[in-house]
Amino acid sequence: MAKAKVKFADVNVTVTVPVGTRIIEISEKVGSYIAYNCREGDCGSCMFTVLDGSDNLSKPSALEKATLFAHFQEVLDGWRRAGDIESLQAMMRRENFAGKECRLACQTQVFGDATVAPL
Amino acid sequence: MSGHEATAGPMAVTDRVHWIGALDPKMRTFDVILKTPNGTTYNAYLVRGSDGVAVIDTVKAETADQFFARLEAVADYAEIKVIVLNHLEPDHSGALPELMRRAPQATLYISDAAQLMLKALLNNSDIAYTPVTTNDRVSLGDRTLRFLNTPYLHWPDTQCTYLEEEGVLFSGDVFGCHYCDEQLFNDSVGDFRFSFEYYYSHIMRPFKQYVLGALELIEPLQINLIAPTHGPILRDHPRHYIERYRELSTPHLHLEIDRDVKTMIIFYISSYGNTMHMAEAIRDGAAEVGGFRISLYDLEGGEVEPFVDLVEEADAILVGSPTINGDAVKPVWDLLSSFAQINVKGKVAGAFGSYGWSGEAVRMVEDRLRGLKMRVPAGGLRIKLIPSADELENCRDYGRDIGSFLMGRPRAREIDMSQLSAN
Repeated sequence: MAKAKVKFADVNVTVTVPVGTRIIEISEKVGSYIAYNCREGDCGSCMFTVLDGSDNLSKPSALEKATLFAHFQEVLDGWRRAGDIESLQAMMRRENFAGKECRLACQTQVFGDATVAPL
Repeated sequence: MSGHEATAGPMAVTDRVHWIGALDPKMRTFDVILKTPNGTTYNAYLVRGSDGVAVIDTVKAETADQFFARLEAVADYAEIKVIVLNHLEPDHSGALPELMRRAPQATLYISDAAQLMLKALLNNSDIAYTPVTTNDRVSLGDRTLRFLNTPYLHWPDTQCTYLEEEGVLFSGDVFGCHYCDEQLFNDSVGDFRFSFEYYYSHIMRPFKQYVLGALELIEPLQINLIAPTHGPILRDHPRHYIERYRELSTPHLHLEIDRDVKTMIIFYISSYGNTMHMAEAIRDGAAEVGGFRISLYDLEGGEVEPFVDLVEEADAILVGSPTINGDAVKPVWDLLSSFAQINVKGKVAGAFGSYGWSGEAVRMVEDRLRGLKMRVPAGGLRIKLIPSADELENCRDYGRDIGSFLMGRPRAREIDMSQLSAN
């Protein structure tokens, strides 16, 4: 079976996995700090960031896209509600997605080498 | 309910504020987890402005008769312009549907986060409300209510309401306690300090970070009186209680010793000394990494509560348990089930243990640690019976692994997925 290497940057662990493995099947076992809740693509808790090799991951499904979009919408709404510039800046610092590619670990499958990390 | 509780009238708190809550002296256990040796109170308040009346919080449904009788003694329902719920738990929202039926013209103000709970709690989708957040204001003519968004004290929805002209803080459950004394004011009731401390440690303690955030909003206010939803109204030295919350919520270990030094705690329990020898070897390995404190504790030699205090301020917690009848042993579960009293999310954790037959304990403990959202960076160590020299070296290496991770320098590891499943 074809293999791929996925590195979890926060714990510095590289795991060789059969192609098609989902991130959720590995991350908890190596102690990477990606959080899970519903485990079926609905809640967005397991959002992680792709540091390298995003082309080697499965393309997001309609469900994953919808969940990611809802989360970003929530962040934007939060920013909009900020009463003053200080709290706006504080919120933006807390949820800084600039330059990050975010995916859901319960949905994303590994097809080639990639490096991932919790948000 | 005795006639006395029902007939005692409303109590003037200031010229413009009345207590219209309810006494529940027979309550003995609150919300499953809290002991209440003399009961509790559900405090609700009525604020009178030149242009209308506000009701701040209501009471548990079973005590609604007291609430409505006291309300009627100081205001007509037609005068009520504003209803505020600082927290939607049923002991404060129980009389809301009936109050809104009697005062349909009133507007209900709740926090942003409370919107999601309102319908689920009241099973009534028809209730209209206005969500508010920090510094939103509602005018009652010559009196003004200002809202402070104080989430997670102790639910996502919690907020405080500040009556600006009187310097009165309607604090919800913050600064509250389960203590029932009809004298109501902190300078007249019995010594309730134990209840105040007990309430903080069981209700607010897991949310210390949020308490500190809320105090940033509360401390700058001119506060003449704190009106919480349970227990005595704090009119004598109200600042004292605010200071006490800051003291209780501030991590202390790091104030007393070098701020940057981290702490690792290794708990173990051992029937024949094997798990103990593992614990010692793990400590030795972690010590080679250095740069942090390591303490080793035998669960057999201590009580759970002080251990929980230690865990609260520690950065890494390892737990060693033998396996007996396919499970970790009771002292281990007693410790782990008490972690719910504090916030352990994100702390580094791990499990280890010696076993005779099957060794399920380590995986079970690990699952519990993960379930608490602790970080388990290396698979737990299981050793059959007496650790050999090689196995003790594995323990030292496990200690090095956890220590390196704790110090922010996780050792690079390359593994195959099949090794993970085999663990």
